[in-house]
Amino acid sequence: MDRKEILSELKKVLAPYTESKEMLDGINEQTDLIKDLKINSANLVDIIIDAEAQYNIEIDFDAAEKMYNVGNCIDVISEKINKPA
Amino acid sequence: MKSAGNDIVALNVIDKQRTCQPVFYSKFITPFELGLYRQPQMPFDIFVWLLWSVKESAFKYLKKGDANLVFSPSKIIVQDIEVALEFAGDRWEGDQSVASFFKGSILYDMHTLYFKSVIHAEFIATVVDGENTFQHVYWGVQLINESDSVSQSEAVRLFVLNKLNSLFPNHALSIDNGLAGYPILFNNGKEMDIPISFSHHNRYVSYSFLNLK
Repeated sequence: MDRKEILSELKKVLAPYTESKEMLDGINEQTDLIKDLKINSANLVDIIIDAEAQYNIEIDFDAAEKMYNVGNCIDVISEKINKPA
Repeated sequence: MKSAGNDIVALNVIDKQRTCQPVFYSKFITPFELGLYRQPQMPFDIFVWLLWSVKESAFKYLKKGDANLVFSPSKIIVQDIEVALEFAGDRWEGDQSVASFFKGSILYDMHTLYFKSVIHAEFIATVVDGENTFQHVYWGVQLINESDSVSQSEAVRLFVLNKLNSLFPNHALSIDNGLAGYPILFNNGKEMDIPISFSHHNRYVSYSFLNLK
């Protein structure tokens, strides 16, 4: 799965937690989850758990703490997906 | 360190079932902190969100001293939680009906901070300070009509400015976000030495600020 495909799936993960649907359609790797997508910080754990289910990976909070913008989310997910079993 | 940090959790929009699953709470609660849970004090889902609220408040407090700080809730460790008597005479502005009160301490790296929280039927509100007396800390919670981010932002600014204008009646106060992303209080365009913090969740907004004057 390349970064473009991860981004496409990530939009589905983020959609329930943002009021800014227009911004979600136009997200890029610099988009900040809280400042730009207006996601409440109380939903950050939900997003991690939903991403784990979406990509069949495990994300610990040491990795999750980097997930404050879309590019960082893709970095973490990509690393977990491509991690050798 | 002079700073301010607070948080609010609207309990009507949390997923209680998910909250109580280990896959959820283990993302930010350490095994040590799980040992702090005392069942008669509060339901487990409230315990989980209390700890989240404390950690988020501590992060906001610390962020003002380190703009590059990243939120790492599992590294902000709640050391103890105890029932507090009602915060009588406290600088609290908000509904205290059917509320219970808790206080405790937090350790992050070399920093010890203190928290106090109001647990209401509909929200958990927390404030953090470096002094366990909270002598100079003002904080409040307000229910608003809308839950969108623009309404939240406008409401919390109006809420805190009403309070600040009562304390500083001859000032021209305004609030703007600094480059670091947290609110800053100005008087006639000049930054005031009063750190403030905002939080909002669904239809609840809250503020805290430190006023040493």
